[in-house]
Amino acid sequence: MHLPDPSTDTERARRTVPLAMFAVVIIIVAGASIGGVAAYYSLRPGSPSGPVAVTDDLGRHVKVPYDPARVAVLGPSILDSMYRLGLRGHVVAVDCYASALGGLSSDYSSDQVALWNLSSSMCVEVGPTFDVEQLLAFSPQLVLAATIVSVAAVEQITQTYDIPVVMLQPATLGGIIVDEQILGEIFGVSSAASSLVTGLQSGLYQASSLTLNLTDNGTPFPTVLVTYSADANGYWTFGPGTFGESLIELASATSISANATLPYPELSGEQVLASNPEFIVFGTGFGLNESTYSGGPFWSQLGATQNGHALGLDSNYFTEPDPTMILVGLPELIAILHPGVSA
Amino acid sequence: MGAPAAAATGSPRTAERRTWVLGLLTAILAVGVFLSPILGTVAIPAGTVLRILLHQLSGGALFVDPCTGASVPAGGCSGLVEIVWDARLSEIVLAVLVGAGLGISGGTLQGVFRNPLADPFLLGISSGGTLGAAVVVVFRIGVSEQNLVLPLFAFVGALATAGVILAAARSRFGSVETLLLTGVALSSFLSAVLSLLLLYSPSGSLQVDFWLLGNLGSLDWTQDGIAFGVVFVAAGLLATFGRELNLLQLGSEVAQSLGVDARRVRLRLLLLASLTTAAAVAFTGIIGFVGLVSPHVVRRVAGNDYRLVLPGAALVGAGFLLAARDLSLIAFPGTLLPIGIFTSFAGAPFFAYLLFRRPWASTMGGG
Repeated sequence: MHLPDPSTDTERARRTVPLAMFAVVIIIVAGASIGGVAAYYSLRPGSPSGPVAVTDDLGRHVKVPYDPARVAVLGPSILDSMYRLGLRGHVVAVDCYASALGGLSSDYSSDQVALWNLSSSMCVEVGPTFDVEQLLAFSPQLVLAATIVSVAAVEQITQTYDIPVVMLQPATLGGIIVDEQILGEIFGVSSAASSLVTGLQSGLYQASSLTLNLTDNGTPFPTVLVTYSADANGYWTFGPGTFGESLIELASATSISANATLPYPELSGEQVLASNPEFIVFGTGFGLNESTYSGGPFWSQLGATQNGHALGLDSNYFTEPDPTMILVGLPELIAILHPGVSA
Repeated sequence: MGAPAAAATGSPRTAERRTWVLGLLTAILAVGVFLSPILGTVAIPAGTVLRILLHQLSGGALFVDPCTGASVPAGGCSGLVEIVWDARLSEIVLAVLVGAGLGISGGTLQGVFRNPLADPFLLGISSGGTLGAAVVVVFRIGVSEQNLVLPLFAFVGALATAGVILAAARSRFGSVETLLLTGVALSSFLSAVLSLLLLYSPSGSLQVDFWLLGNLGSLDWTQDGIAFGVVFVAAGLLATFGRELNLLQLGSEVAQSLGVDARRVRLRLLLLASLTTAAAVAFTGIIGFVGLVSPHVVRRVAGNDYRLVLPGAALVGAGFLLAARDLSLIAFPGTLLPIGIFTSFAGAPFFAYLLFRRPWASTMGGG
């Protein structure tokens, strides 16, 4: 009968414990490493070399290269987002509307041209005719386009030239936030996108707080005419479903065109006179100023002009669905419509 | 027997002249097609363009590195090849197809209506096509395949309009005057529907703009292939109706007595001209004056024989549209103007010149 040697058992036990501890440490380290890597990649949209799958604002499912270095941005609102996310360096081409006629200045204000360091050598003509040749000359890896570009042209770029196109044209203010997340995913700047999104959400929250305060206090909302053009017949303004109208609502005001049937109606002089809004906000930039509007009907007879409540605001704030609309345009509009009240 | 009737019977001398004229026009057009890719909105040396063309046409056998010496974009030589071969040449081929289609349709309709002002757009066919395109844009139909869905809807819209005209032609009120006026009324009606649609969708109007102004860009070889199939067959069939059109110029009764069923021939010609026009506008939108001017140019140069006018108008139309593309790029370097603007700029004064040089009646060969 073979009896175990107690000394050998002790020796074995002495060796087994450190081995087991070593194995546990290895398992923990390996597990942590695998978990860490998995967590790292689960936070990122895809591996740096692999494509990223996104769904754009038109519901198109697009596979795009991760963090592309050469991007054509066809829409000022998208360039605003790219700039705020620190991605201006990726932009090699921008949209121009009929470069012979207006070039950059027809799509971008002079402030935007200076801020974003744009030049006419970056132009891709998008309208009325889309110049595919100019786009190809920039060899973009990705095209980010608003609907100023025809969807048929977009499909041609994708299918014929194999350049992925992501359409970023939000339908609502909330859509702006979604677009920042899409860009964060594509370029691997999720943290920058998150802080931008937080800023946007905060801007929207502050505006809604103002609305709640006014409602609670029983303070009526001021009436306003926001106009972007005027002629002898009347004033062109924003109707239901437009960003201009959404911004007015968020700024706790009532647009005199809130019940219009068209998205961009022209209110006749008599309609404006009858409504006699407390405020008039007229669009500026692109060569527009007060004299553009003062030729409109009954301008000098309107209460707002007589009381000094006719003020200018950059037209882009009402038309370009981008972070600037919420972060800058909304507070400035609130400051005009609610002097003395901070949102 | 008048000139058209004589032409209808034909003679060896007429046939010889026809061969010469058509041969010359074809040669001019071929040279134009080969040289036009030199012009574009991106500056590429002419030598590089020609090397790329020969490289592609030879299947890569000639000029293995066609971009030698040229400043290549970030995408490398393949970027330049894409620009010349895919972007420029597909646009040029389409210009030739659409110009030919509009030219021969214009010649046909002027013959059918015996009216020098008849052109493919007079019947409202283009308005129907534009409305079809607008429906796709405004209601966002087939977003992922819009480069094919949009021309398809435009084609259907144009054909549906042509269908109404054809139905009018078949009715007992189907006189030439009634048809023309039906076309004018239909065109106005469809334009009103389009305006209403765009009022409720301003972003759609940006995209429909390219349609209204005529546009050769944003196309590819697939679309060229489709356009080629439809235009080639329909225009080819139209070109065989020269004799019948010659006889129709003498009036329905005379044509009838010479063995031509005027009503049936007119209906077939309208159908084929509509099909050709619909295929053309489906891809390019409204391009004015090509269908109006081209037949007049042929008549001035080569007489009123429709056996020459129809194929001649196709060749002149193709050349006219190609020349318009090239001249617009020379006049406005680096800018792609909507081609419809330029054809109207060039076509209107030229048409006025033709009219004032020669009375309408004689350019139509009738009395």
